[in-house]
Amino acid sequence: MGRVLEIENANVVFNAKTVNEKRALKDFSYKIEDGDFITVIGSNGAGKSTLMNAVSGSLALDSGRIILDGKDITHFKEHKRARFIGRLFQDPLKGTAPNMTIEENLGLAYSRGKKRTLNIGISKKDLSMFRERLELLGLGLEDRMKTPIGLLSGGQRQALTLLMATIVTPKLLLLDEHTAALDPVTAKKVMEITDEIVKNDKITTLMITHNIASALAFGNKTLVLSQGELLMDITGEERKNMTVESLMQLYSRTASDSLSDKMVL
Amino acid sequence: MKINKKKLISWIPRIVVLVAMLVLINTQLYQSQIIDTLEYGFVFALLALGIFISYRILDIPDLSVDGTFALGVSVSAIVASNGHPILGMLLGLVSGALAGCVTGVLITKFKVQPILGGIITMTALYSINLAILGAPNLSLWKSPTIFKLTESIFGEYNQLIMTFIVLAVVFLLMFWFLKTQIGMSLRATGDNEFMVRASSINSDTMKILGFAIANALVSLSGAMYAQYTQTGDTNSGTGMLVVGLASIIIGEIFFSQHTILSGLLAAVFGAVAYRYILSFAMSLGIDTMYTKLLSAIIVAIAIALPVIKKGVLNAFSRIKERGGKSA
Repeated sequence: MGRVLEIENANVVFNAKTVNEKRALKDFSYKIEDGDFITVIGSNGAGKSTLMNAVSGSLALDSGRIILDGKDITHFKEHKRARFIGRLFQDPLKGTAPNMTIEENLGLAYSRGKKRTLNIGISKKDLSMFRERLELLGLGLEDRMKTPIGLLSGGQRQALTLLMATIVTPKLLLLDEHTAALDPVTAKKVMEITDEIVKNDKITTLMITHNIASALAFGNKTLVLSQGELLMDITGEERKNMTVESLMQLYSRTASDSLSDKMVL
Repeated sequence: MKINKKKLISWIPRIVVLVAMLVLINTQLYQSQIIDTLEYGFVFALLALGIFISYRILDIPDLSVDGTFALGVSVSAIVASNGHPILGMLLGLVSGALAGCVTGVLITKFKVQPILGGIITMTALYSINLAILGAPNLSLWKSPTIFKLTESIFGEYNQLIMTFIVLAVVFLLMFWFLKTQIGMSLRATGDNEFMVRASSINSDTMKILGFAIANALVSLSGAMYAQYTQTGDTNSGTGMLVVGLASIIIGEIFFSQHTILSGLLAAVFGAVAYRYILSFAMSLGIDTMYTKLLSAIIVAIAIALPVIKKGVLNAFSRIKERGGKSA
């Protein structure tokens, strides 16, 4: 089992050298093994999203290194990293192009990592493959492939984004609270689809969530972040025996830590 | 291509309106005017197609258009007056693409605000165009043009056929390009930049490419305009962005679907319809100096219309409510 992602002494500072200075990541180091499905929890401002943005490249590190599959990608731009990294945002509107059809969006996603050419965007062969993959979602979207995505619901769009992010199996999948903006029933459905795809394609995954139950129910490791540092790395037996209540206590303790900090300030 | 029956039916009322307009114009204009106007329409359809790329596909109003239209005019006129009208058209196209790249690089790499980026290029082009042409204007009366070259082949309707051929080739190329992988990436860039970058597409490159294509078409339009009117005038680009926008907005009355074919057809039909509206207005005795005012009013009204509509509807419902209470 090789290592997919290594984060070495990552530091991110916002508003450096001002009174509002905030160290969003403090000497953060972590190694993700091949096939890991890691869930990340932590209160607001714990550094979860900063971690995600630093890995995806939408935020530059102030110091430290990020190594993906043995390659140092610290200075790679976002679109270049996207060849290897699939990503879902919290906002379902962010992951798809609304004025383009379902098949066009899938066509774009399917050319991820390849050189885009002047070949026609979607071939007949691709179309039948897209149809099969859409059927697996079980949302009936396979019959609406010429529909502009803007006409779909948030849940449908998020499920499609998930399909787009994984249609070319990425080395790493980043999920940033991707079910948080959906209603509970849809969120559950999207989470089930996520788990299925991740398991089937054996995708190494990093998932941020505010839902403690799903943080334990899915994946094989759970990280608890607080103030830019790794507070706990829960794995194996400890994780199996962990209940939602006991993790909740941990979670709220980190939350109150940051709260008391703010009160001191 | 498969034609959707429902779509076809939805187009019928639009076509009826269009035909009615044409009949009205027919009774007001002489036959030679009708054909002239159509030719102008085809020339300016290229402009509208270019602006469609920047304004509708990239979703950025590109103000360099006023400069790049005159750039096409200047390059085409000077090269044609030296005896190479076809080369003039091609160089007009290429120079427009280069100017578009400048705007694109300013906006993406140097983070200049989109509108300002266009204004910078446009302003620089005022001087550049004068330098290229060597004078504010140049007559091509005695020079060869693409129209004079083909006169012996196409005969009486030469100009109509030539403008149509150029437009048709550009239209088909655009329709094909926007369906390719690169074309789809370009469309997605204007639609959702987050998604584009997450799909490993360099959104900066796509924007620069989009501006290059948009301004190449605008410049080609200028190049053809110069040879069609047999004059090179460095001031001919003034107000062209608004003219193009007016064309697109008029065209979208007829072609309102959010498909590529519909968008391209809207640009072409809008450009032609706009010319007919102008000819019609002039046949009523309105001075040509008011044409830019007319296009400005069309654009302002079209963009303001949704807000006005909402305001009127709200006012109506308020009146209704009050009426209900007193009764």
